[in-house]
Amino acid sequence: MSTRRSEAQRRSKLVLEHVSKEYQLKRNETLLAVSDVSLEVFDNEVCVLLGPSGCGKTTVLHMMAGLVDPTTGLLSFNDKEIVGPSRERGMVFQSYTSFPWLTVEENVEYGLRLNKVPEKERRERVDFFINKVKLARFRKAYPKHLSGGMKQRVAIARMLANSPEISLMDEPFGALDAETRWHMQELLLDIIDETQMTVVLVTHDISEALFLADRIVFLSRHPGRIREILSMEFKAGRRIPSKEELLETPGYLEIERKILHMMREEASDVEQ
Amino acid sequence: MSEYSLSSTQREERTVRRKSRLFEFNQSIPFGSVLRLGFTAWFIFFGIWELAVLLKLTNAVLLPGPFTVLTSFVELFTAKNYLYDVGMSLFRIVVSFTLACMLAIPLGILMGTFRRVEAFFNPLVSAFRYLPAPSFIPLLLMWLGAGEAQKLALLFLGVVWFLITLIMDYAKSLPADFVNSALTLGGNRRQVLWTVVVPAMLPDILTAMRQMLAVSWTYLVIAEIVAASSGIGAMMMRAKRFVHIDEIMAGIITIGLLGLVFDILLRRLRRMLFPYLDSE
Ligand SMILES: Nc1ncnc2c1ncn2[C@@H]1O[C@H](COP(=O)(O)OP(=O)(O)O)[C@@H](O)[C@H]1O
Ligand SMILES: [Mg+2]
Repeated sequence: MSTRRSEAQRRSKLVLEHVSKEYQLKRNETLLAVSDVSLEVFDNEVCVLLGPSGCGKTTVLHMMAGLVDPTTGLLSFNDKEIVGPSRERGMVFQSYTSFPWLTVEENVEYGLRLNKVPEKERRERVDFFINKVKLARFRKAYPKHLSGGMKQRVAIARMLANSPEISLMDEPFGALDAETRWHMQELLLDIIDETQMTVVLVTHDISEALFLADRIVFLSRHPGRIREILSMEFKAGRRIPSKEELLETPGYLEIERKILHMMREEASDVEQ
Repeated sequence: MSEYSLSSTQREERTVRRKSRLFEFNQSIPFGSVLRLGFTAWFIFFGIWELAVLLKLTNAVLLPGPFTVLTSFVELFTAKNYLYDVGMSLFRIVVSFTLACMLAIPLGILMGTFRRVEAFFNPLVSAFRYLPAPSFIPLLLMWLGAGEAQKLALLFLGVVWFLITLIMDYAKSLPADFVNSALTLGGNRRQVLWTVVVPAMLPDILTAMRQMLAVSWTYLVIAEIVAASSGIGAMMMRAKRFVHIDEIMAGIITIGLLGLVFDILLRRLRRMLFPYLDSE
């Protein structure tokens, strides 16, 4: 009861009401990818969608971005129905999407050019975010010369420079090796804390979810639906900037064990 | 110190012990060897040819030796105005191919990008792709006569359908998330088309052009053999009348070389225009 009241006090940014998505596979065959998902994402919150692969995480995020329409249900952003993609909802994709024909700085500048931001402001924003993701040395380089982690940093900077009101990230570090992923998570948390951004991040990596999330929405599959929403009470309302510190925080192990257990159940569902 | 030197000799022994084989699975070989092997193959080819002629194993009229063919080039260029023929052939290729590109590039991009455009045009394009262009020759001769228009039309019909399909397929294989990125950054459809789809497609378009230009040469020969007074094919038909086998062969070699030159030029152009790409 008390948590409900405190949630009600926060401003909700993005709202999903009974959202379902059915894909038409063949003429008479459909696949229910997302079933009756209702969810609120609050201002300045990091909301992590966690679940096994195929549970509809990407579909939910694409609907939030306006790239995919729901079959039934309603999505709204700032109390307005979402009817298509918009610059106010930025997105980072799992695949590398930095444009290979543009240099790092041209990539970061790309959205600002689309939106006809004046040159002076454009340059300032590009400088600021290139520094933020620590790519100043590579600003004239083409993506082919960058590592996977750097390419994702370009994609993040490109999105942030465009000043979206919410950042939707689809397994942004999924393709990276373990060490790079860990660096990137810390860098991202740093930026989130500094810019007070609102984030919906998709992952199937439990430790990534626990490290970044203010709240974890656990999805189960066939069909994709919300199984449980976990608030990160053990963090006591603050963000923990390093992985070591996170591991030592009381309560961490319990919640990790709980999520692992849910993951295992999801996996055994498939085996049956 | 002594330990280090011991281990280093051990390492050397191990390198020596590795047997170097002539044929090793997927093993790269030095560039020098690549050149040497390639030239050797040609050398053997010409060697056998010249030898067969010298030993009179063949009819010398029907199969002149490589040196005879080579000298016929001199005769062709100095006495028979061959340069004009080559120029006419090049002109036909360039004009017809430019026309084909002007239709195929925009149409292919639109068909690969928008499903409605594809659904409308693709049945037509695929059907025409299966009609052999040379089968249109009698029609084209009746409609357009035996002049340039007929030849350009044949060359155009020979490549345009495949060029459209190739470019459409390339457009379809463009990563959807490139377009999605631009959309979520606030791009409208016109902006996404011109700032993402088109620039992303440019290298593929050049590749498709390179592939189809090779085909274009095939139709050129057909067009010039059927009814032409100029061009490399026409020269070969003239040579046939006088049983100048060496000149026919010179014609074949000219076409081969020109095809190769165009291929190399387009490859170069691709590398020059798109330095941001990984090597092909
Ligand atoms: N465009 C599509 N057409 C048909 N089926 C799809 C499409 N996109 C996703 N799916 C299916 O929907 C389900 C959920 O997919 P997705 O949202 O990508 O899950 P996740 O991101 O959690 O792995 C999967 O079974 C997938 O095969
Ligand atoms: Mg996914």
